[in-house]
Amino acid sequence: MPRPLLHTAAWLVGGLTLGGLALAGPVWGHGDEARDQPPPVKADFTPPVPGTYTLHPIMRAPSGLVVGLDRRARPLAELTTGKITLLSFVYTRCRDAWGCPLAYRVFDAVGTAIERSPALRSRVRLVTLSFDPRHDTPAVMRQYAGEQSTRGLDWRFLTTPSEHALLPLLRGFGQDVRAPVTGGPDEPEQLTHTLKVFLIDPRGVVREIYSTAYLYPEVVVADIETLRLERAAPVGGTVRARPTR
Amino acid sequence: MRPHSIRGFLVALVLLALAWTAPALADETCNSPYMGNLIKAQEDYVYVWTLGVKGVGDGSDKLVTIDANPSSARYGKVIHKVSVGGRGEAHHMGFTDDRRFLWAGGLDDSRIVVFDVGTDPARPRIVKRITDMPKRTGYVGPHTFYALPGRMLVQGLSNGKDKGGVTGMALYSNQGELVTTYAMPTTEGGDGYGYDIAINPRKNVLLTSSFTGWNNYMMELGKLVANPEAMKRFGNTMVIWDLKAFTPKKVLAVPGAPLEIRWSLKEGDNWAITATALTSKLWLVKPDANGEWQAKEVATIGDPAKIPLPVDISIRNDGTGLWVNTFMDGKTRYFDLSNPEQPRQTYEKVTGKQVNMISQSWDGTRVYISSSLLANWDKAGADNEQFVRAFKWDGKELIPAFEVDFNKEKLGRAHHMKFGSRAMKAAYPDAPLASAR
Repeated sequence: MPRPLLHTAAWLVGGLTLGGLALAGPVWGHGDEARDQPPPVKADFTPPVPGTYTLHPIMRAPSGLVVGLDRRARPLAELTTGKITLLSFVYTRCRDAWGCPLAYRVFDAVGTAIERSPALRSRVRLVTLSFDPRHDTPAVMRQYAGEQSTRGLDWRFLTTPSEHALLPLLRGFGQDVRAPVTGGPDEPEQLTHTLKVFLIDPRGVVREIYSTAYLYPEVVVADIETLRLERAAPVGGTVRARPTR
Repeated sequence: MRPHSIRGFLVALVLLALAWTAPALADETCNSPYMGNLIKAQEDYVYVWTLGVKGVGDGSDKLVTIDANPSSARYGKVIHKVSVGGRGEAHHMGFTDDRRFLWAGGLDDSRIVVFDVGTDPARPRIVKRITDMPKRTGYVGPHTFYALPGRMLVQGLSNGKDKGGVTGMALYSNQGELVTTYAMPTTEGGDGYGYDIAINPRKNVLLTSSFTGWNNYMMELGKLVANPEAMKRFGNTMVIWDLKAFTPKKVLAVPGAPLEIRWSLKEGDNWAITATALTSKLWLVKPDANGEWQAKEVATIGDPAKIPLPVDISIRNDGTGLWVNTFMDGKTRYFDLSNPEQPRQTYEKVTGKQVNMISQSWDGTRVYISSSLLANWDKAGADNEQFVRAFKWDGKELIPAFEVDFNKEKLGRAHHMKFGSRAMKAAYPDAPLASAR
């Protein structure tokens, strides 16, 4: 039986709050200076031609209440259906160059490509969703968004009304948040997570998941184009992309 | 029996023993590149996927947890074990990309058990069992478990139709739902066999190796030895795949059953290495001057005439060295890979009467060795040692640190090892699979 959401030790133990994510550093960061460097973003290969490969349905994107910059609560499903959606969990105080900042950079690059594509401009949505609702209020998310939310691109910056609302989303997407033990009982506990970016088709089905090792804007754009090109198919079945002229 | 017949028998015996050998993915440096949370400091635990032995303990396959932190009062002791109920030829394991779950498979019963290692890394627990892989995919013998973002790629060794070596890969979501399957190529030189999986995301390359089917790896020794046709049915290929499209691009001829694959993790390197079991060679896979992927033999492991039987390899995190375990002579060898075109053996030590898997810590200073090859092919009598032995490596000598005697502890046969850490504790105990028991 699933535990009551807010009865988990993770939420109740002193110091182990989502706000503690601000302290999060790489759990593997013992002398790993490489992670302090900006990661490469450009792929070292030419992605396959859009529409020549298949993106298989992986799972249905979960839903739950989220809050936008307008402070209005709505079901996430409204923002993961109807368009091709690229979604990532972040927290605004993340300082891991290979984590949330990388997601931001990739989204920015993908957004630029979408803006330049008449075929994609109205068919694609970007969603940046905080998993630090205590700190990342709509006001903080507005600041984090900067001019991105007004550049003519459908880029949504969301948070959740509570941790209670957040947990089903984390669970449904399979987004981990770890609590590495780094010291003694008096040392503040830290959290960290695996960066994951979800590509969701207009039916609300996750069709690709990217993480740090394979998060290249040109690959993401090719996948978006592949989804645009594919013919409609039943959710849950194998969907074969079909190039169109 | 005439001498050459005896020799032939021994060769067959060793080859068949090799057929049962399914090492790989043992150490921290061989984990999927999609696992960003590698343990680069001191590991706290060694998880050991252990074959049950009838009449020993509960006789069941089980996941054994050993405390591996020298600062712990229970250092070198078994601190937890969880039986799966029954014996299915427990073999290999692999973490999901977020390291919250450990998937483990049985080569005989084709069942996959998913352990939650995130809620309490010291006390793994079963959260899901996948029992319909043969029915859903047509493949049997789940061998390699390789993390993709949000998914697990499972390499089969055989198929349910004729139980030969033609097989494929099954892709599951982390929640345990089948996403799709990919057949190993049987054209353009492909033999359709499978064994290991290794990905180089920077080059969009997935590399696979090849072994043999259920008919061979489950056949009794005597029958297989008496069946020369069966002895021919081992893999002789590796395959370069387009990772994004998941389509085979080129079949490489690598005779002698290429097993584990290790990409160099050094920044800028662009090569992988493997060991061929039947011929006792190291092979290098890298692009030529024209960017075309090629495979070539680069070194010999021991004296192939004495059939050392390489069964597992472990590469240093900077790609400069490679451990090789050879089952028959119980030796652990170290190769200098400073020039991967010309690996050079610089050290060897007998680490057991039979040795199989080898795992090293990220910094290379700690090395763990297990004993079991497969239930029917481990040595007999006093040579049937069953253990996990830990060593310190100072660059010159393997220095014993601790040993767990799996016979004495009535655990079974120690096979695959993976590392665990308290630092990998999940913040949310009620993880996605927790209710799927």
